[in-house]
Amino acid sequence: MVRDMTEDPFEAIVATHHAEIHRYLVRATSRPGDADDLSQETFVRAYKAYRALPPDANVRAWLFTIATNLSRNHFRSEGRRRQAMAVVAVGASEHSPTWPEGEAIANQASARIDRLVATLPFKQRVAFTMRKVHELDYDAIGQSLDCSAESARAHVFQALRKIRQGLDDFDVVQTER
Amino acid sequence: MPGADPTLARAELESKLADIRSRMVAYGIFPSPLGRILIARSELGVSMVRYIDSDDAARSHIARLAGDEVVEDTTTLEPVYRELLDYLNARGTRLSWPLDLRWAKSEFQRRVLAATSDLPYGAVASYGGIAKRVGAPESVRAVAQALRHNPLPIVIPCHRVIGSTGDLTGYAGTRIGLKEQLLTLEGVPVSGGGHRVDRNHMYAWAGPDREYCVPSCGGLSEMPLAKLTLFGSRRHAEAVGLSPCSSCRPDLHPLPA
Repeated sequence: MVRDMTEDPFEAIVATHHAEIHRYLVRATSRPGDADDLSQETFVRAYKAYRALPPDANVRAWLFTIATNLSRNHFRSEGRRRQAMAVVAVGASEHSPTWPEGEAIANQASARIDRLVATLPFKQRVAFTMRKVHELDYDAIGQSLDCSAESARAHVFQALRKIRQGLDDFDVVQTER
Repeated sequence: MPGADPTLARAELESKLADIRSRMVAYGIFPSPLGRILIARSELGVSMVRYIDSDDAARSHIARLAGDEVVEDTTTLEPVYRELLDYLNARGTRLSWPLDLRWAKSEFQRRVLAATSDLPYGAVASYGGIAKRVGAPESVRAVAQALRHNPLPIVIPCHRVIGSTGDLTGYAGTRIGLKEQLLTLEGVPVSGGGHRVDRNHMYAWAGPDREYCVPSCGGLSEMPLAKLTLFGSRRHAEAVGLSPCSSCRPDLHPLPA
């Protein structure tokens, strides 16, 4: 007996992962409007390719890879880096995405961190986000960035250093007022 | 704030996926007793069966038809293939799939295909007979054309449609040998070097009653083939609910096997 022609396991993949990938892309692109387009493109590509995945594939890591590739290509082709810096400089704190509710960080501090993350180079920004927000392991991050787990670790380390430096600078400015 | 709420993005994604899904065609290429065949389906049902000589020719053919929404997916096509294989190995007489006639060329062709679908296993009718059934008794040539472009051979049994003289005439281009194989599989006697069905060796049903006869019954031998459905065996006639004619009694005087 032929099974129902309309059942589609991909619906479960969308239900499970869409919100998280969308959140990731909001940070990866620094522009929330782009996240809508890129998350749609991520899942459209995944839909066309998921049948070829092996049964034990890490679907979540695979989706992050697709999303990262799309955001990197988007970033390069549209030259958004300067624009992102300009957005940050104009004091875009009211447009910054907030951190997940579970984290106990004050709004002001989190907005500050967001601004700093948005100024990081692409690889550090996405590596940091994948590690600290989405808790992917370094193998998965490396897969997304097409580099080794060690390189992924280094990107996160560099990102942390710059963020801490940025926070220190802010504090120094505050105390000198 | 645009983009912060994924709900709208999710709704747009679902809409886009539904659109892609409706256009998407999955296919597989499989071996069979009749050679390699391609089977394709959409979300609505099986949409194409094609005899193929080379896998590359098949892929480019289907890519041309369906554009970039074509996916090779032998896994989901596997159950369809299994049923087809059972059928071709005489282990089943029904192919019970939903069909998607998206590649039918016209409303007329759809009607012809629907009428052809009604032909029972092990029975044959003429092109003229199909033309009558779709209410276009003069359009015999158009019926032949429509069946020549049948997107679902085997499933929609155009192999059960023959010329008015009993000649098999055409099939899937030059594949008349396949038509003979399918008819033989279904117990329809084929003679004349594989190119004719002899109505004198087949049971006949003229309607409108539900009785089937031997070919010599009443005025049957004078009736044009367009008015008849011919069966290769009593079993297949009775399988669709026909009973032996009370006059010529095929149950008492069956045709020689």
